[in-house]
Amino acid sequence: MTSSGTEKALSLLRRLPRVSIGNLGPNPGAHNEKRRGRGIYGGKTHGAGSGGSGQRQNFMRVGYETGNTPFYLRFSYQTYYKGHHLKLSYTPLCMGKLQMMIDTNRLRCDVPVDVTQLMATGLFSISPQQKEGGFMLENEGIDHFKATINIEVQWANEAVIASVERNGGFITTAYFDPLSLTAAIKPVEFFGRGIAIPRRMLPPQHLIDYYSDPKNRGYLADPAEVARERFLLAQKYGYELPDVNASPNKDILLERKDPRQIFFGLEPGWVVNLKDKVILKPTDPELKEHFAS
Amino acid sequence: MTCSAPRLLLQHLTRNVQGLNATLSVAGYKSAVSLDKIYPASDLDVTKLQTPPKTDGLNFSGYVPMNKVQVTYSRSNGPGGQNVNKINTKVDLRLQVTTADWLSPELKERIAKKYKSSITADGFLVVRSDKTRSQQLNLADAMDKLRHMIHTAAYVPPPPSAEDEERARRRHEASVRERLRQKKAHSLLKQGRQIPQWDE
Repeated sequence: MTSSGTEKALSLLRRLPRVSIGNLGPNPGAHNEKRRGRGIYGGKTHGAGSGGSGQRQNFMRVGYETGNTPFYLRFSYQTYYKGHHLKLSYTPLCMGKLQMMIDTNRLRCDVPVDVTQLMATGLFSISPQQKEGGFMLENEGIDHFKATINIEVQWANEAVIASVERNGGFITTAYFDPLSLTAAIKPVEFFGRGIAIPRRMLPPQHLIDYYSDPKNRGYLADPAEVARERFLLAQKYGYELPDVNASPNKDILLERKDPRQIFFGLEPGWVVNLKDKVILKPTDPELKEHFAS
Repeated sequence: MTCSAPRLLLQHLTRNVQGLNATLSVAGYKSAVSLDKIYPASDLDVTKLQTPPKTDGLNFSGYVPMNKVQVTYSRSNGPGGQNVNKINTKVDLRLQVTTADWLSPELKERIAKKYKSSITADGFLVVRSDKTRSQQLNLADAMDKLRHMIHTAAYVPPPPSAEDEERARRRHEASVRERLRQKKAHSLLKQGRQIPQWDE
């Protein structure tokens, strides 16, 4: 039984034209048709808060302090921060903390330890976009360091190198450019992007001397000279250099990356598919040449 | 260590590489800037044994064989709370001078003479250090001190040249002349204060 309201609506639908932009309008009361009051000396137009430049968003320029020399103009350039945007900072890692991570099985030392392994502990965060270069090893706790480890960090001083080598380990300092570092610190995320592993770039001019110096155990230094420096450091710090050939972990301790490699066991150019558990390697000769350059 | 599935796979990927020969390093991946291309003349052996330099005569090479030196640790003195009370940071380095065959006899003699006060009754040259908070750095300091002692004992100052000897002789003669002149002047002064004695 249709009511009169329903019949009226249906008849409207039959008669009226199709709904379009041209025949749409707001519901009554949807828009506030407010107009400013026009009373003399009062009402909505006069008095504090009801007029002036404040009502009309007339702001002064940002930093203006109503006449006195503003903060951003008071101080001239300072030399101490010149070039700060070009300099890298490193996450400090004390030898004591490194030993603790090994003792608590947070970090394995039966594989070569690099940025990837250290980030896998979950105890650190590195953001390459904020000009962070990686890890630097610090002096604190060198007396308690007892592990035999093959470690690759971005910066290490002499005492730290001595404490690693006196326990039969090897230490290398290596540079990672921001893109390679992003891949190295979060490998699973990187592989999920489905792009080829890039070549690691060489250090910039102001860092290449550091990484080519055998005293710093740089990854671009001559290993024969590094052998000599190991001997000299042992003499300086008063210990006998343990014979690595007699060690059962010889292969692990001597494993090194190529300067263009980011991950141990993976070459630049490979695409790692974790979902299907396959590695795709380039076959095109031009690509192969590029990734081997 | 708690692991998720992707992390386990990554470990599996890296673990599998352990079986490879260290010299191959990822089945022979070599870029254009690999070490054998940067240093073509080098044997690239980081385990190469180094022959220690020999000490002959008074020419100390700086090499100290650590198996011939006795190192003991003890607690340091001074302030430092729990750390200085418990941690053995002081280093005591002992070296038997007479039986040190890596030093030449003349050098041993000079050390025994110059550092007589640092040698015990048993013939041990003692070097101690508690300079820093770290045992390792103190050992490095003690080694440095030992090498300094040996170097200074070995040092023979060069003989004076003919010019130096001539200069020294002339200076000595000048000082003697001046001393006698002053003495004579003083004597005349004293004589002048006497009542003159005229012999009639």
